[in-house]
Amino acid sequence: MGKSIAVENLRAWYGDQLTLKGIDMELEANRATAIIGPSGCGKSTFIRCLNRLHETVPHSRVEGEIRLGDEDLYRMDPVDVRRVVGMVFQKANPFPMMSIFDNVALALRLNGIRRKRELFERVEKSLRMAALWDEVKDRLRDPATALSGGQQQRLCIARALAMEPDVLLMDEPTSALDPGSTLRVEELIEALKSSYTIVIVTHNMQQAARVADRTAFFLNGELIEYGDTATLFTKPADPRTEAYVTGRFG
Amino acid sequence: MLVGLADLFWTVLAKGVASFHFSMLTTVTHGIAGGLQNAILGTFELILLSTAIAAPLGILGGVYVSEFAHTKSAAAVRFLTEVLSGVPSIVIGYFGYLTMVLSFGWGFSALAGGMALAIIMLPYILRTTEVSLEQVPRSQREGAWALGMTRFQAVSRVVWRPAAGGIATGVLTAIAIGMGETAPLLYTAGWSSLNPTWQLTGHQVGYLTYVIWTYIDQPYPEAHALAYSAALLLLGIILIIHLVVRFLVHQSTGSARRHSLASYVRWIRSHASGVSASSAKRASATSTYRIRTR
Ligand SMILES: Nc1ncnc2c1ncn2[C@@H]1O[C@H](COP(=O)(O)OP(=O)(O)OP(=O)(O)O)[C@@H](O)[C@H]1O
Ligand SMILES: [Mg+2]
Repeated sequence: MGKSIAVENLRAWYGDQLTLKGIDMELEANRATAIIGPSGCGKSTFIRCLNRLHETVPHSRVEGEIRLGDEDLYRMDPVDVRRVVGMVFQKANPFPMMSIFDNVALALRLNGIRRKRELFERVEKSLRMAALWDEVKDRLRDPATALSGGQQQRLCIARALAMEPDVLLMDEPTSALDPGSTLRVEELIEALKSSYTIVIVTHNMQQAARVADRTAFFLNGELIEYGDTATLFTKPADPRTEAYVTGRFG
Repeated sequence: MLVGLADLFWTVLAKGVASFHFSMLTTVTHGIAGGLQNAILGTFELILLSTAIAAPLGILGGVYVSEFAHTKSAAAVRFLTEVLSGVPSIVIGYFGYLTMVLSFGWGFSALAGGMALAIIMLPYILRTTEVSLEQVPRSQREGAWALGMTRFQAVSRVVWRPAAGGIATGVLTAIAIGMGETAPLLYTAGWSSLNPTWQLTGHQVGYLTYVIWTYIDQPYPEAHALAYSAALLLLGIILIIHLVVRFLVHQSTGSARRHSLASYVRWIRSHASGVSASSAKRASATSTYRIRTR
């Protein structure tokens, strides 16, 4: 079941460079939230704070508070955080020296699922959810690099889903995909959002409009506007949001 | 320079082939004549020992520096390995003589010789392990961490696989270097014309480089024959090691065997970000540089 996320005065640095300048934001459970904004405004940095990957970058720093459900995210062990907050990256990053099956099964095995039957069922379920099963069911032992780019990205989604997280972060998951694969991923988000909290970064405003219940507009490390997707696109309150969604800058 | 090398190679090959007899493989050295069995087995024992010590330590050290160390402690370990790889091997031999042979009371022995070789091999193994791991793109680590793997799980389950060929290459190169060493062994292993007893301390061991180094200066043709045969053998073994190294570079060791390291390298090129690509370039530049300086 999804969990809500409450972000309070979140600030993030790379070295001396302040990249997120105090973000306050409530992400609702079991909803899809889109993050939009021009390149370099801090969208990736923001969602990388939500699974505590940001702090793995050398010389980076974070301040502020994030609550996951009723827990303080920054008091949890980062490893535990990442087990319940899954992530899909902009560039598909399957483990290339492993088979398709092992890519999905690896994290399950590390979590103590060793019985062959159960492992196989979980892998199949995840691959089905990621709409990849039919394409790979006859070649699960092939290396992950034998898949196309779009298939690799769906494999990464399956890998994240196999962990049965509460929250799924997606950083421009379809930016390298063809329209067909993009459609499948969007259908997937549609199907998943009733039971997961989904945060999706996208440059594609039609996509945000199609899949997200709520949308947040970021600019230069600040949250400018956040509200219902329909409202934000049709009646934005801030002139900067309007300029961005009508394509006048960014 | 290249001409000199070709000349050396040709001399060893021609004289080695002319003087080599298969009976040398099965007889031990008698005075200045006889065979090379004692030296071959001794070299084998010394390399076995030194690899058993240097490979685990070097690989663990490389993993530590690349995956776990803070920038400062990583820099410290890196500095120490640089220093260590710059120490002339004769100094390592003399140091081993003072400590292991005399103070520890091991005498001229396989253990003292093996340790001396291990000290020489260690920086190579550590450095190639580190460089091979650093060439694995950051996106692979982040992918593993994002699944809730600890740093240790990420390196032991995911990151090592693409680096395995490089690590094996480092170990084999270190073995080839160790095989060619004479100076540190003169002070630590001694020399014996008997086959090794497989006792670690208190017994001297023979080795091929000793035969080359000592017998080439003797005025007797039998001694020269032994020296050239030993050189030919060493050259052959080292050549084979380098062929295996080349093979490994082209062949992966992961579970997806059909895909070669070469295709992985291509894959990295198309996926790696600018940052990791340039750091990989820097790393490989350093490693070529280091090989040249030897
Ligand atoms: N590893 C890093 N080291 C230093 N600075 C970084 C790093 N990653 C990002 N930045 C900087 O932080 C700022 C925000 O980057 P971020 O990746 O969050 O932007 P983004 O909104 O996701 O952009 P895009 O839409 O292009 O993906 C940028 O100015 C970027 O240069
Ligand atoms: Mg981004």
